[in-house]
Amino acid sequence: MRPARLRIGRYSTIILLGLIIAFPMLYLLSGSLMSFSDIAQYPPRLFPTTPIWENFAQAWSYLTPRTILNTFAFVGSVLLIQLAICLPAGFALSKIKFRGSKVVFGLFLVPVLLPTNLLLIPTFVVTLQLGLIGNFFGLVLPIAGQASVGVLLFRQFFSTLPDGLIDAARIDGANWFRTFYSIALPLARPIIAAYSVVTFLTAWNLYIWPLLAAPGEQTRVLTLALAPLATTQFSNISPSVGFAAAVIAMVPVLVVFVVFQKWFTRGIAGTGLE
Amino acid sequence: MTVLETKRGAGAERRHPRSPLRKKTKYRKADAASAWLLLAPALVLFIVFIIIPTIVSLGLSFYQWDFFDTPAFVGFANFAKLATDSAAWNSLGVTLLFVLLGVIPTIAIGFMLAVLINANMPGVGVLRVLYFVPVVLSVAVSAVLWAFIYDSRQGPIGALLRVFGLPPVDILNTDTLALPALVIMMIWLALPIVIILYLAGLQRVPEDIYAAAALDGAGPWRTLWSITWPNVASTTFVVAILQIVNYVASSLDVSLIMTNGGPLGATTALSLYAYRQAFSNQDVGYASVLSVVQMVIIVAIIGLGRLITRRFSR
Repeated sequence: MRPARLRIGRYSTIILLGLIIAFPMLYLLSGSLMSFSDIAQYPPRLFPTTPIWENFAQAWSYLTPRTILNTFAFVGSVLLIQLAICLPAGFALSKIKFRGSKVVFGLFLVPVLLPTNLLLIPTFVVTLQLGLIGNFFGLVLPIAGQASVGVLLFRQFFSTLPDGLIDAARIDGANWFRTFYSIALPLARPIIAAYSVVTFLTAWNLYIWPLLAAPGEQTRVLTLALAPLATTQFSNISPSVGFAAAVIAMVPVLVVFVVFQKWFTRGIAGTGLE
Repeated sequence: MTVLETKRGAGAERRHPRSPLRKKTKYRKADAASAWLLLAPALVLFIVFIIIPTIVSLGLSFYQWDFFDTPAFVGFANFAKLATDSAAWNSLGVTLLFVLLGVIPTIAIGFMLAVLINANMPGVGVLRVLYFVPVVLSVAVSAVLWAFIYDSRQGPIGALLRVFGLPPVDILNTDTLALPALVIMMIWLALPIVIILYLAGLQRVPEDIYAAAALDGAGPWRTLWSITWPNVASTTFVVAILQIVNYVASSLDVSLIMTNGGPLGATTALSLYAYRQAFSNQDVGYASVLSVVQMVIIVAIIGLGRLITRRFSR
């Protein structure tokens, strides 16, 4: 009897605190469908009287399809480049014995303590000198170059593959590239999934680098379009339309998160070391 | 340190290090060539966009430069400027406030919530989603939301004040309230990741310790404090580092979007001050000095933390 009561108490606490934590976000969803009078109503309403889908049409035209496409292109490029460079590097560092491997490994450890915001200014300087500020390459490459977490994570994973497996492939005459591509890579699927979800989320939500590197209309990403709404939404457009824009920007990550939640939590736990 | 790391990492370490097999292996030239080819793409991008900027950052702190003309060597002048720049010292105080107000509550709340939802009961797996879901929000999206929450005319807090007949407070424009308001949003944003890390840490605490504690008659609070908390110390260390970095560096996005450093510099942390020096004042050398200072602060806090935890664990 006592454990049952304890259990009910714990359930209700979990639900209550969970709702409190999720509340601002649930309110964002609900508010995005409210009319101006609903959202300004007093005391505040939890749900719209009638859902105003028109808010989303307005938000869509405010954000522009171009910005949404830019964001997908930016995030997709970062993800593909990171996988293409980090996987082979992690494999080489874990399975091939060669002079200098320790030095390279140490090099990848350097940025573990350096948050990217601290390298903002010098990264801007280097990108500027390369003539890449203001275009898509300048937007993507410096972020794709933040490879240390990926390299270290994949190195860690590949080093758990039994050496016998790799040796067998080598004895059969496969070169290192083939061994990597047909033996190691298929086994890495789970860790690739976990890393991809985390990387997708991080890149999708970046703000400052896109602001510095490519703020122009042609290259602008969603976060840049959204940020001004935090300070001017009350004069320019209805808060509901601002909410709708925020929801549009959030939906792709929300979908990725819900579908790949298992991989996401593993990815966070795995990269948490850094 | 984490699920993936220890489960797989520990096994891997046991398998190879310093086994006799390894000593016999000779480096082969063909292997080396393949290895460098596999590493090359990662190394090129990494060196150009991480290693070189790190070096440039240290180097530029000795120069006067505006992004365009030839940099002029000025020795320690930028560091000397820091000594007399009271705005910089104010922003250093703001940075420390972000860390002080943010880090400990984030760790404490995250730990408690992780313990709460680390329950082996049906349905909890689904309910956990409620706790994880703010993780999908960018600073930009959550700024739109929280700016409304804090808005004196339309937001819920303003409404609440009116219910009690109190005058409206423009939270983000009040110098004493703006920073705590930003910190509250940052805690909310950081919680999912902290909870996930603690959940991973809690999975590794052996069940029989709890059984033993229960046999000894330890109550839930005592178990929490004397059994659970010490057993996730390594997770706490990781979380603390991540959060210190978060509040020193990532407060830049938050204050840039929500308050633009105001009111009266109350939310201008070093990161934002450095950003302004570089991109508004075009004083790249001085901005580099400020970045170096932030680097030193992070390393110093982490070093101090390590020293304290070592002292206590012995």
